[in-house]
Amino acid sequence: MARDWQPQFERLVDEHQSMVFSLAMRMTGDRGLAEEIAQDVFLELDRHMDKIESPQHACFWLRRVAMSRSADALRRRRVRGVDLWVEIEEDYGARPEEKSSPLGARLEGLLVTLPQPQRAALVLRYQEDLTPEEIAATLDAPLATVKSHLQRGLKLLRAKAACHLREYIRGA
Amino acid sequence: MDDFEIELRQALERRPAPPGLKHRLMERRRWRRTQHQRGHAVLWQRLAASVALACALGGGLAWRHQQEQRQGEAARQQVLTALRVTSHALNKVNERLASHGRADQE
Repeated sequence: MARDWQPQFERLVDEHQSMVFSLAMRMTGDRGLAEEIAQDVFLELDRHMDKIESPQHACFWLRRVAMSRSADALRRRRVRGVDLWVEIEEDYGARPEEKSSPLGARLEGLLVTLPQPQRAALVLRYQEDLTPEEIAATLDAPLATVKSHLQRGLKLLRAKAACHLREYIRGA
Repeated sequence: MDDFEIELRQALERRPAPPGLKHRLMERRRWRRTQHQRGHAVLWQRLAASVALACALGGGLAWRHQQEQRQGEAARQQVLTALRVTSHALNKVNERLASHGRADQE
């Protein structure tokens, strides 16, 4: 059966480069690595263009591959014994024009200290505005596990924020 | 959704991709396609060279086999001729001996 929608690579890059880059950067905390991952994800998309059926499918596919590639990159770094977060600046290398509010930047910085599965669930929930069901489908994980990661991640982040932001307010 | 989650959502807004990401990506894509095509060309060249080599080897072996067969046939014909000549000579000798025997009896 012929498809009505034909994917155009350049258009998909234009539409989704910000999403893929942001996901990779929030998962790895490294701008350079995030750009590398984003390029790899789009090159993989280029190889699988014939399998993409709709704009929604393209978006889902890109999210899924971006998360999986980011997890692979983090695993490779752990194997090599590099503690990524030690190298990260306060706002983990954001360009000056991209810096969010000080409070937002602090929260973003605290997010990257969470365990990777919890971080993945929170990034998809609050950056991409996905439901737990959609997150489960994206991460290929059971719904109960995703809900648990969301709850625990949010609880841990609140606790860290309460502690760090108190110091921040005191210091300001 | 409480204030904390709202703040988190604002903090996690999508960041713009680095300038030039698309350009670098398209360069890599072009380079990869060129490499892919070059890889295909090299593969076909190797395949063609292998086929040519296999044909040459096969042809050589077939020619050698044919030569050996031809030489074997020639040797067989020579042996047959030699046997025929020997048989003829022996028949002659036999005839002579038989004629000498008859003469002695008479």
